[in-house]
Amino acid sequence: MFVARLAGWASHTLLGKSGETIAGRVLLILCPNAISQLSTGRKIILVSATNGKTSTTRALAGFMSTAGSVTSSKSGSNLARGVASALMTESEYAVLEVDELHLPFVVDATKPKAVLLLNLTRDQLHRMHEVKRVADRWKEMASKSGATFIADIDDPFLNYVLASASNNVRVSFGGMAGRHPDGAVCPLCGAYLDWDGGIYSCICGLANQVSDKKFSAESAAMRNQILANITAEYFGVPWHEVDLSTLERKVSKKFINADCSIRLTKNPASWREALAGVEGEKVILILNSREVDGIDTSWLWDVDFSGLRGKHVVVTGERGLDLAYRLHVQGVIAELVSDFDSAAAKFAGPVEVLAAYTAFFELVG
Amino acid sequence: MKIIRIHNELLGTYGDRGNADVLAFRAGLAGVTAHIIDVSYREMIPTDGDIYLLGGAEDAAQVLSCTALKGFDFKNRVVLAVCAGFQILGNSYFANGVKQVGLGVIDMETIPGSSRFVGDIKVHSDLLNIELTGFENHGGQTNLAYGITPLGRVITGHGNGAGGVDGAVVGNIFGTYLHGAVLARNPEFADLLLERALGNELPRVNDPLADEYAKYRRSII
Repeated sequence: MFVARLAGWASHTLLGKSGETIAGRVLLILCPNAISQLSTGRKIILVSATNGKTSTTRALAGFMSTAGSVTSSKSGSNLARGVASALMTESEYAVLEVDELHLPFVVDATKPKAVLLLNLTRDQLHRMHEVKRVADRWKEMASKSGATFIADIDDPFLNYVLASASNNVRVSFGGMAGRHPDGAVCPLCGAYLDWDGGIYSCICGLANQVSDKKFSAESAAMRNQILANITAEYFGVPWHEVDLSTLERKVSKKFINADCSIRLTKNPASWREALAGVEGEKVILILNSREVDGIDTSWLWDVDFSGLRGKHVVVTGERGLDLAYRLHVQGVIAELVSDFDSAAAKFAGPVEVLAAYTAFFELVG
Repeated sequence: MKIIRIHNELLGTYGDRGNADVLAFRAGLAGVTAHIIDVSYREMIPTDGDIYLLGGAEDAAQVLSCTALKGFDFKNRVVLAVCAGFQILGNSYFANGVKQVGLGVIDMETIPGSSRFVGDIKVHSDLLNIELTGFENHGGQTNLAYGITPLGRVITGHGNGAGGVDGAVVGNIFGTYLHGAVLARNPEFADLLLERALGNELPRVNDPLADEYAKYRRSII
């Protein structure tokens, strides 16, 4: 572990990088069982989802710090090396964000006390292939784990996963705003799943009308705040209210004369959530398609952009043309420019920016 | 003109609903009023449509859609079927690890491929005499029967995963593995379907942004 820390320090000091995942990577090379060994005797809490895992992990780590010492993931470092890095700091609790496909391995290695699952929708199909495939892996994982699984069962895929966990807390918010975008088929039995708004009930019994805990929530941020509190409560931590804006990946920053409010958007579900949150008349959209953004843009056609009609919309990014044509067909007039600086120069005052994953981190640093 | 988008809640995994949007949009630019009619699993498929669209899906959804379409006569209609929607038009396909009976509209069968085919794809269409681009993501290998014409010859990617070709064309029925949506990335293909549906040549569609997008896509694959 000393060598790993040294590598992390060297990376941080000499290369100017965070050093976080480098240390974890070196540690896993030197000691492949490191995650398992570093987890022994600690209370591990894992958080996974398609969207919201970074901000929810941060909030939950904050809640848990009132109960004891906590180590948590560095923002977005959710692969095995990020988990290993976080565990190198000694603490009573470890609250860790985990990538969807890495979750079964990390559950097996860390033997967590609790696993919080927020949502599961289509994302990066070039890597995940299918939503049901991820749900099946999680289901098998849950059947073999002694952890308590806490999840939003308004998502039928999570309800399906929880059905095979021996300990679970099934939370409902009275249904999502509408049907789950990928939930036309019951994940449990394969029958057609009829939806009444956000309520589903399958002939096989998979349904969200009966739950262990019921709340109401108007946004994904609110749902995640409640789910994090329920998880903390499981460890005896009293309820915390948080500023919901901290649960949205939203950063304010000034570029030239534009006061930008920048939101992270990375898949159909997060684009829909971010578009619903657009209040002003000035909007910049940035689309890239690098590996972490998802290398294909076909999903643009599954997102409704009609709410942007009549607004002053400027589009940029490496796949700005894909987005510009999609908007064009939906009757949204948008101007395509070559880079973000040119986009920002079009505006003065408040501007809402929806940025793809890689674009978001380039802007906010 | 009526554009029938079949079972989008089941066959809507990969943006293929955009094919209907592009058809209606380009029809409008050509002065033809087009309506998109979404038909769900619980509804009867209208028989008075001008163009019928099927899209990609996960396995369980593909099986449900295919079951609901048994008995619907696709012959003599203008059809565009993508990925899972293309596979069900064959004699058989694989889903949930089991061989399933298809609709038998195109003489072909789909078996599990040697690996999953994921990535950009470019094919040459002899019919249109242009290159078509898209994105593929499927685990099936589609074997066309002798005499069935493919949609294109593969330049980059895998397509059917057999014979170096993608898709199939039988009369006015077109099948392909190209997502994108394919008609968004290839406006000439959209116009061909509109012409087949109208039964005559389409007034020229002038949309420079569509042409720029198609050209750009062809330049990067």
